[in-house]
Amino acid sequence: MALGDKDEPVESRLGFTLGRDHVSLDVDETVYPLEAVYGGCYLFVDRCFVFLFRPRERIVTVRLTSRGPATPAELDALAGEFANELLSQVTRLRLSQATARIREYYTAAALRAAASAPSVDDLLAELDSEELGDDPLEILVPWEEKSGEKDTESK
Amino acid sequence: MGRITFDRSLYSAEAVEAAAAAYAGFADIALERSGDVVVAVVGVTGGDERTIENSFCNLALQETIVRTRRAASEDDS
Repeated sequence: MALGDKDEPVESRLGFTLGRDHVSLDVDETVYPLEAVYGGCYLFVDRCFVFLFRPRERIVTVRLTSRGPATPAELDALAGEFANELLSQVTRLRLSQATARIREYYTAAALRAAASAPSVDDLLAELDSEELGDDPLEILVPWEEKSGEKDTESK
Repeated sequence: MGRITFDRSLYSAEAVEAAAAAYAGFADIALERSGDVVVAVVGVTGGDERTIENSFCNLALQETIVRTRRAASEDDS
């Protein structure tokens, strides 16, 4: 609870701690890792002033101070948006951790495939080394020659 | 003159130093490291005190996040 412009008690609708120009929320690090808190803060530093402090172990208090005058409702909304962003950051973090091995596997497989793919020089060398002397299908024999032989045989 | 206490489990001391250096033109900032905290004693020399102190804190946090992420990506590679 805090005092408003007319020294009337102001209560946050969403349970945050409201001040004259700031709003604070306590974040439990066992639910929201510090990395997620940092992610949220990074997105909010251009919208408001962000300050972190630790009132007790495993709890981080995030204080969001408005850059200009703000009503309690606006501060409440700001903290609400921050809380939503925290959830989003945690989800991203958990997904990223859960899929880390799959991503590593695909990256390794792609690199392996790229490393083992033959180069143009390799393909040309392979062509040069092929045995072109044998012609079991008689592709090199002219058509007239083949046809003439057949004609002679038929007579 | 304001005193701002940065918890070292949340802010990197180097990041606070970098932010203090960046705001040297607007405030005299003396840093005292003691135990788990870095205390910044800020004497604003020009401009709005509230804005400068809060902006200094924002930069300290931003620097901390950037440095933490950079360190994490270097560890991964």
